Formats: sequence, C-alpha cells, structure tokens
Amino acid sequence: MNAINPTSLKRRSFIYRELVKLGAAFGEVNGAAVALNFGATREAELASARRLALADLSVLPHAGFKGRGTAEWLTAQGLSIGPDSNIAYGQAGGELAARLAPAEIFLLDSLAGSGALMQRLNSAWKWAEAAPRPQQGYPLPRQDSHGWFMLAGEFAPEMFSKMCGVDLRRDRFADGQIAQTSVAKMGAIIIRADRKVKYGRAHAAYHVLADIASAEYLWSCLLDAGEEFGIKPVGLTALRDLEQ
Amino acid sequence: MSDVNRLPAPFGRLIDRSETVSFDFEGRTISGFKGDTIASALCANDQWMISRSFKYHRPRGVLTMAGQDANTLVQLADEPNCLADKYPAKNGLKVKAQNYFGSFDNDMARVVELVHRFLPVGFYYKTFNEKKQSWSFWEPIVRAMTGLGAIDPKADFHESYYDKQYLFADVAVIGGGPAGLAAAQAAAEAGAEVILIEENVALGGSLGYARFDAEGVRASRQLGDFERVLAGTKGVEIMTGTICSGLFSDNWIPLIKGNRFYKLRAKSIVVATGSIEQPAVFRNNDLPGVIMASAAQRLIRLYGVRPGRKAVILAANDDAYGAALDLIDAGLTVAAIADLRPTVPQTPLVAAVAARGIEILAGHGISEALYSAKTHISGAVLAPVTGEGTLGGGGKSVACDLILMSVGFSPAGQLLHHAGAKFGYCRQSDMFQPVELPAKVHAAGSVNNVYDLGAVIADGKRAGLAAAKDAGLNVASVPAAITEKGNVGRTHPWPIFPHDRGFDFVDFDEDLKYHDLINGIADGYDNVELLKRYSTVGMGPSQGRHSAVTSVRIVSRETGVDIAGMSVTTQRPPYTPEKFGHLAGRVFDPGRRTAMHHRHLELGAQMMPAGVWWRPAYYGGKADRTNAIETEVKAVRENVGLIDVSTLGGLDVRGPDAAEFLNRMYTFSYTKQPIGRSRYVLMTDNAGVITDDGVACRFHDEHFYVTATTSGVDAVYRQMLFWNAQWRLDVDVANVTAALCGVNIAGPKSRQVLQKVCTDIDLSPEGFPYMGVKMGTVAGIPARLMRVGFVGELGYEIHVPAGFGEALWDELMEAGKPEGIRPFGVEAQRVLRLEKGHIIVSQDTDGLTNVWEADMPWALAKTKPFFVGGRSTEIMGKMKLARKLVGFTLKDSGDPCPEECHLVLKGEEIVGRITSAVKSPSVGKVVGLAYVHGDDSAPGTEFTIKVQGGRRITGVVTKYPFYDPENKRQEM
Amino acid sequence: MKVMNCPLNGPRNISEFAWGGEVKPMPDPATMGDKEWAAWLFLEANEAGLVREWWCHVPTSYWFIAERNNITDEIIKTYPATELFNTRVEFAAKAPSGSGEKK
Repeated sequence: MNAINPTSLKRRSFIYRELVKLGAAFGEVNGAAVALNFGATREAELASARRLALADLSVLPHAGFKGRGTAEWLTAQGLSIGPDSNIAYGQAGGELAARLAPAEIFLLDSLAGSGALMQRLNSAWKWAEAAPRPQQGYPLPRQDSHGWFMLAGEFAPEMFSKMCGVDLRRDRFADGQIAQTSVAKMGAIIIRADRKVKYGRAHAAYHVLADIASAEYLWSCLLDAGEEFGIKPVGLTALRDLEQ
Repeated sequence: MSDVNRLPAPFGRLIDRSETVSFDFEGRTISGFKGDTIASALCANDQWMISRSFKYHRPRGVLTMAGQDANTLVQLADEPNCLADKYPAKNGLKVKAQNYFGSFDNDMARVVELVHRFLPVGFYYKTFNEKKQSWSFWEPIVRAMTGLGAIDPKADFHESYYDKQYLFADVAVIGGGPAGLAAAQAAAEAGAEVILIEENVALGGSLGYARFDAEGVRASRQLGDFERVLAGTKGVEIMTGTICSGLFSDNWIPLIKGNRFYKLRAKSIVVATGSIEQPAVFRNNDLPGVIMASAAQRLIRLYGVRPGRKAVILAANDDAYGAALDLIDAGLTVAAIADLRPTVPQTPLVAAVAARGIEILAGHGISEALYSAKTHISGAVLAPVTGEGTLGGGGKSVACDLILMSVGFSPAGQLLHHAGAKFGYCRQSDMFQPVELPAKVHAAGSVNNVYDLGAVIADGKRAGLAAAKDAGLNVASVPAAITEKGNVGRTHPWPIFPHDRGFDFVDFDEDLKYHDLINGIADGYDNVELLKRYSTVGMGPSQGRHSAVTSVRIVSRETGVDIAGMSVTTQRPPYTPEKFGHLAGRVFDPGRRTAMHHRHLELGAQMMPAGVWWRPAYYGGKADRTNAIETEVKAVRENVGLIDVSTLGGLDVRGPDAAEFLNRMYTFSYTKQPIGRSRYVLMTDNAGVITDDGVACRFHDEHFYVTATTSGVDAVYRQMLFWNAQWRLDVDVANVTAALCGVNIAGPKSRQVLQKVCTDIDLSPEGFPYMGVKMGTVAGIPARLMRVGFVGELGYEIHVPAGFGEALWDELMEAGKPEGIRPFGVEAQRVLRLEKGHIIVSQDTDGLTNVWEADMPWALAKTKPFFVGGRSTEIMGKMKLARKLVGFTLKDSGDPCPEECHLVLKGEEIVGRITSAVKSPSVGKVVGLAYVHGDDSAPGTEFTIKVQGGRRITGVVTKYPFYDPENKRQEM
Repeated sequence: MKVMNCPLNGPRNISEFAWGGEVKPMPDPATMGDKEWAAWLFLEANEAGLVREWWCHVPTSYWFIAERNNITDEIIKTYPATELFNTRVEFAAKAPSGSGEKK
C-alpha cells in the first residue's frame, strides 16, 4: 500500500479531515483511504493500542441483513450464527456476524479488510422469484449507515463509563458481547472484540458503530473522554500488529 | 497575629505541617497548613467570627466543623456560599464573610436586633398577603438585607471542565465511619464488589476525632485495624471527598467528587451516614464560641487547633466527658461541666474527668451565654434545672471563651428519607430512628440508632452481609438486628431553655428564636409541615439538621400531640447544594452533518439547524442574505442549481406486504403503483392529524423507498414498527436516512449537466419522465435517481451511499461548471417550493391540522379498507371546517410581507395565522400560505392580517401554484 | 433513575426507553360509531394499579410490552409484543354499505 490522499478516492471516511490533521498516513482498503499510522514508531503505536487508543475503521467493509429468514439464509451461505441475540459470532475469515436481533445481522470484516465475504453475500442475494417465496431477509446499507471506530486498550472500559450507562468492564462484558445503547447521547452498538495473542492472552478492544452523520462528533467525544488516560489515535497497522 | 491556636503534633491528623498556605480573609492574611479548611485556619489564627447571620446580622462562627451548618458560609471571589469548614484552605484565596453592611466587625445592620420584635414570625405572610402594594416599599429593603452570598458578574470567572461518569457496584456503602467500614469489609469478604463513599477527605468518621475511652487510644487503634484489613481486602473501592447527594429508584446514586458527577448503580446499599450532634437552646447560643462538643474534638484531632482557652461544657451524655478529656489534653481549662441530668452516672469517662478535679454540676443547665467583645462569648450563666425547660433564677456566672454543647444526636437520615424509609420516634433513646426501609437498602450505625462503638461495628457487619446477600452473593447467614445499641442516655429529651430576653435560637440559618415558633403555633400553624412553611424553620441551607428535632419537640409540647406519632419534615434531594456545572456536566449534543458538510463551509455557507441536522441556509455573507437567496432562486429557475438533500428521511420498505403496509400507513393507495414510479405519501395519526409527507418510490414489486421529512423520519420509522408489531405483515422497514446522502440538481439545465456524468440511464423526458425513479450510476457511484418537483423545475434527486457523498458533490459541481451551476440552500428552497404552493409539514401544518384543513382531500384513497387516521379523517370530513389552509397574495402591493405566525383576523376574532410568506422573486409579489376562516377560503375572498406593530393589511385568497400553475416546467 | 428490562437488550436505564401508551385494542373502525371511535381515541382508563403499556427501546427501535404498577412504580414484567400479537391482522375491504369487518 502506497501513501495516498483520502480525496483521491471516491469513498471517504466522514472524519478523514480529522485524521489528516492528526498526521495520519493512509493506505487503500475497500476503495478508500484508511489511516495506517499516525507517524509514531511501531512500538509507540502498539504501546498506545495496549493502553488506550482510538482508530477509524469506517471505510473497512461492513454490511448487514435484516428481516425474517436472515439468519437461516446466512447460515445457508456458510456463516456460523448462534441462537442468541446481542452476541457477535466469529467467522472463518476473521469476520464477525453480530446478531443484533433474532432477524438482524451486522457483518464486520476482519481487519485485513478484503471484503471477500461481503462481496460474496451481496452478489448471492437476489429477490426471490415466486411463491412459495423463501424467507431471506434484505441487505442493509451498513457500510454507509454506521461509522466504525475501534477503541483498544486496558483503559477502554473506564473511558466508556464516562459516556455510556452500560457496564462494559471486562469481567462483566464478555468478549463477543454486544451492547446496543446510548453513547454520548447517540444510539450506538458496542461489540467487545479483544485482539487475541498467543496462549489465550488478549488485548482489550471494542468496536463502536454509530450514526455516520455524527461521526465527527463521536470521534471528538471519544478523544475528549480518553484524554485523562492519555488516549492516542492509532492506525490499522497497530491494531493488526496487536495480534502478533 | 499568626496561628496562635495551633496545637503540636500528633494533634491535627489531616494537616501537613511541611506545607504552609496563606489566603486573605477580610483584608487579613491568614496562614495555615495544607489540609486545613478555611475555617480551621481562621480558628488557628484566632479569627472566630466567620460570617454574620441572615436576618439579624449577628456574629457567627464554627458550629459543627463538619459542613453541616450555615454559620460558616463565606464568599469567595468567584463563588458564593462556600462552606468554610469543608472548603480547603488554598494559597491566594480571597475570602469574605457574608451578610454584613459597612465593616464586618462593626456591621451597621446589627441594629436590626434592637427592633427584632417588629419582625415577627410569618413576616412575609402577614405583611404581604393582604397589603400587596407594600411589597414595593419592602422589596428593596428585604432584597438588600437578606439572601446569602452574591454572584459578582464582573468577577474573573474561570471556565471549568465538569463531566460525568457511570459507576457500578454490588454494594454501595455510604459513610466511612466505623459502621460503614465494618459493612464494607463484611460485604467484600462475602465476595461483593463494594464502593465505599466518604464525604470527608479521610475515612474514619468518629474514629478520627471522638473519644471512646478514658485513655484515648481505642478510636485510633480501631481505625488502624480497619485500615490494615481493608488494605488487604479485595473488592473495595474507596472514594473519599465524595458527596452522595441522593438515593433514587433502583439504587441510582448520584455522587459528587471535585468537578465530576458520578452516577452509581448498585445492587444494594448500606447507609452508614451517622448522626448529627444537636444544639441546646439558650440565650446567645448562636454566638462565636458556642460550638458542638464534636466540633471542638474535630478542631483538636483533625486540624490541631485549640478551640479556646477556657471552656464550659453543657452535658447530657457520656460523650461530653470524652470531649472534656480532649480539651484538657489539648491544654484548655475546663471551668465547669453543667450536666442536665439530675444524677451523673459514674462511667469510666466521668470518673476520669472527676479525677482531674473538674467541677461537675449535676442537674444544671446554661441559661445564657455572656459576651463582652462584640464578636465572641466571654462567659456562661449556669443555673439549676427546675423542670422541663426551666432553670432556677440567679445562676452563677463563669468566665469562659468556649461553650461546648453535648446534649444529644439525631440520625443523619436524609439519604434514607430519599430512598423512601420511614422514621419513628424511639422513646428509649429519645431519638428518631428508621423503622421501615425499602428493599435492598440497609442502615447501620448511629443513623440506625446504634451508638455503642462495639455495637456500631457489629451493626455495620450485619448490614454489609445483608447487602451482599441482596446483591446475589452467597451469604451463609446474616446476623440478627442489634439489640444492645448503647443509645439510651445519649440524647436529652428537652435541652431547650427559653429566655425572657430572647435570642434563644432554634434555627441559626433563619435566625428563628424559641418564641418565633411558639407564636407561629399560636397563629394556627400547629403542625410541623405547616410551621416550617410559615416560620421558615428548617428551610435554610442546613435544611433543619439542627432545628428539625427541636421544632418537633416544641410542636408536640405546645399542641399536646404525642411525639411518638410525629415525624420530622420531609427531606428531599439533594443532600447538599449541587452546582449547575455538575448537573450539566459535559454537554453531549450530537449534531448530524451530511457528507457534504465541509464543502458547504468551504463555499461560505451559513449553516442552520434543521431538526438534529446542520444544513446550509444560503451561500454568502450574512450581510448579503437577501441577495444571496434571490440569486440562488434565480439560478434554479433560469439555469441550474444543486442542493444537499441528505437530511431527508429515507426508509426501505421491503417484503411481500410492502404495498399493503404503505396502504395502511399513508392516505393514498400503493397497490397498483407501477415499478419505476414515485407517488406522494401523506401520513396522519390515529386522530387524523397530518404528521409527515414524502414520496414512495417503487423499485421492485416488493420494494418501496419512502422519503420522510428531515425532522419527522425517526418518528415515522418508530410508528411503522409500532403498527407492524401489531399487524404482523410480512414486511421489513429499514431506516436508511444516514446511509444514503443525496442532492437535488434542479433547473432547466439540470439534464444537460447530469448527462455528462450519468451515462447508464436514459435521461430523456420519455425514458425518464416526471415522477419516474431509476437505479443506475452517477460518476461511477451507485445511485437511486428520482424525478421529483419540489422546487417546480426540471430536476433529479440523486441518492448515493453516504461514503460517496462528497465525491458526488464534487463531480456534479465540476460537471456543471460550464453551465454555471450554483449551490442553493434551504432558504432558497423554501422560496421555490412556496412559489409552487407545496406545504411543509410542521411549518404549514400544526398539531391539529387534518387533511380537510390542509385542503388535500386529493391525497385520500377512497376505496381502501383502512389507513391509520382514516376513520378520524372520515368523521372530521362531515364536520364544518373551522379553518382552512389557503394560498394568498396581498391586495395592496405596497404592503409589507407578513411574517410567519402573524395573525389572521375575522372582525376582531383570531381565526388563523400566516404559515409561510415571501416576496417571490419569480412572480414579483408577495405569496404565501395562511389559515383563514372556513367560510373565507374561496379564491378572491379578502381577509385581514395583523402584521408587525399591530397594523392591519388585507390578504386575498389566491389559487396556487403561484408560479407555473400548469406545472409544465417540472415535467420538461 | 429506574431500570427497565428490555426483552431484547436486558436491563437498561429508563432514559433509553420511550413510552408508547397503554395497550388498548383498536375497535373495528368500520363498524364503530363516531362517538365510540372518539371515546376510544381520546379517553384513557387511567386506572390506579396494574397497567399494560407499549415501550420502545430507542437505540434499537424495539417495541415491547411492559406491565407495571403505577401506584408502587414497580415494573412487574416485560415481554416481546409477539406474546400478545401473533397473528396477521386484516381489514376487510369496504363494502358498498360502508361497513367493514376486522378478521
């Protein structure tokens, strides 16, 4: 990935200007520019990601399906989806299928961001032709409805408690659990998605999915709330490297 | 003068003698140590008078040293009403006393004392109830004389950062005294996650300052034990310097620490807030030098401050003797102990005091505190008790500069009150006690009427285990309630000794004397709640902490109602005043921005709020507003314009029942709507009131893309889900408002511009007619295109995934350069649509407008079985119309353009209002929409409009559209 | 602040919820007289005691039903709307006479 300018591509994160101001170096993923790092050394960004860091993943592939038959159809497409709502189920390629409701799935790509699963599903989905019509749910434009941030590091739960009324501490909110709640007075989806290292160790990390139109607001709220813990923006590289 | 009253270590466990601080008090430089409060530093410097009283401007000094009284409210440069006995002494503070005129030491208004008989109880009621005009005479006097601190608008206010945080715990323990410490330890040992909240800077409560044994070692030993055990116990988070300001439903606990407001949710609560030492009533009991025994002990042990030189103690319990020993240890002389009890039990503490040769006068009280200096007491008159509240005459004067009151306690039950606990009077202890607690709330220690230290610790342990059990932890057994409480003989039932010459204060905050209450009761306010409101007893800043029990006792005796059946007045949150900053916290205001937001700013747009969104009002400087809007209107009418319509609501309605669902939600019929076409949607609620509108675009037999208004879409979405939760149709509704952003490219040259970047759609009038909808790409971006006519020109609405929004804007602006494309804002759009007579729901409709009033029966499908609001619409259709929305112009073209909400009159009666009006650039005159009387709606009818300044002008009902009435331009 | 148990999302602060009114079955609009219709529309029983209400969890737009005691302010139970509404509701086509029937 060569260094690129976010405006050279047609798909853009709603907060690319903020990332530029913070000194981001960008690479192309999913037809858009994603911040790879913010100019610090690899070790420094990794240290931030272990302590408290915020990353913008908004342009990474994410998608969704909703409506009667959604889970059945996705299962038929090879996804592994458990029965409980508000759990994010891991997929073979490292993607997450977040079951928001019995008939609603939010799909998040792995941090590799190839988009292969989303592409396959979107092209497999067709309007059913005739009765008896199979129930299949409908695709949702999740790529564009929700900004996608990752908050990583051991201080993340404490920081969340400054803007969210759900107890997200690690011993109360398990890996893979989902909270659909209010964050800084916005509706938001929080998914605990630890970055796993060898021997069962893991670094705390949470996906934050919220109204794309308030992405700039939420980004600034999160940075503000994290200030007392020394929050830093980090790029995709540090988040990927957390698992090494 | 310096800190002449400072005691050597080990007195002063809270101060750090290695660091001095100095601040200004009324022009004096006061020096103290880190850890001092303003009040402790003042006392160390022999400055006993700290403020003046509210009504009579009497000198006042420390009373409790616990932040429980209003005597020590002081004024800081940027903050009024600070508790001097809590506020930390800091370098550079500018502290002033409150409630004085002229000089603090020589307050000119103290003459009010001389005329106090003319300020009777119920002054406000008596003076202003019937003679209301007298308020104009009294107001300036009352306003200047009363009130507490002042806010100085010219002060150098510093901005502060306040914020909030949620906390979670199994068990919240409020109060870090012996009961709270024992409760926290027991709950944590049972496996609970505990948060222990202490208002003061250090844990310990009475263990930090009180004396439980003659040797004076038990308290510190016990505190040390707790500290050691807690340090080794997992699961206790300690928050000191933290005020719990209330208890609310489901154990919701607000906490204030510094500039942060915490919202703690606990599974169960232990309230161990202790008790409040109560004053005695005697003449001049309010003057500096008369303090609670516990306040003297706090000064000595917490701050290392000698509370005086020579003391008299008014006693009614064993605690007084512990305080006496402390005074002796601190080097004071104890001149005498007047003990209200006829015989003094020979406890170890009493024996220790007696052994030091102190005079103990059993069966004696204080009839009066004497003063020679204007600002401090100089003696006490001791007299034998002859009956309940009476003392023998004569009496013996004893010189002293300190009087301690140690006559009893009252539970600090505010938080339990908030939680809904009921209190009753305990005859054995002569104190109120909690008798009924809400579920999952426990009381422990002296707030629970348990006083003996061993019993307090046992009670704390019991409550801690009970709370852990409530929180779902496995607790083998919870001990039974404590029976040996050590509460008998702690509190005197009548430490009230009124004096013929008055100034025997019951309420220090409000300057209420014994006879004020007696007179209030005599005026007929013979119930504590009524008396409180009439006399204001208990309504000052300390909220009755020291006056409530005394006033209950007085009411009981005066009315003959048994005190056992009475209660103190209701206590409500907050426990102490909260700052607006704490309540506001960090303001979360999530405004929504479209993908093109920054492009608008770069183009010089003036942004305006539209619901929760920000939209461009117009492009250009504020001074150039009118011209900018007219130019934008002209660009659309004559050339081509581009507007960001991303904020418009968008709903994907999909499924076999999609058309049936829309039939039920909207007034029109959608079953036969062709694919590739759009149709108007009008929503009414169950009462037939218009709530929203938009268009439904059919992209597939089972897929409608429905638009909704910017501010209405969330409610529309919620209503759709609400109804289908009942109907169970096979349809899915998704709110895709933010996921799709959009522009409307409008004007005669819009097709010419669009076809440069849109090559996969036939844009010809035949291929893509008016009201047609298509999917395709624009500049390579997947798009939904609609030919709609809100502004009345040829135009295309283009909706694309939000991530591509900025690129779409850029591509269209670039493509339109040769044609001179111009961005236009909401203001121009409003003019354009008004020229076409399109209504805006919630601007041209209100909370009552129905389909008939809005003159839109054309939007009703006649034959379908049901739609929400259909039945009500049908009923209202049979009724006479009170008002109707009409188009209008002005009779006299010289008249000014009316504004929104100017009134429409019929005779002198208000019958309607202007909803929209503008001087139309396209038709060259004023056009608008208005509600007129139902009888006046025929075109050509004249009606009266009352405009600015009360002027009346004449409007003429006019058919609309005002512009291009045959709608040819939008169909080009 | 009270806590309400959302059947989908679990216990949450009541500030995450919106009230949707009492659950009161709609009478057949086609056969109901004007006055009776108006009474159903505008008059609430407003009884003290157990009430059954619609509530919506706002962040997920999830509608459910809550039963609570409005005297003690206790939420007795909450459950999905499907427990009360589990069959498709139809409205009969308008007969020429103007009377219809809900199946």
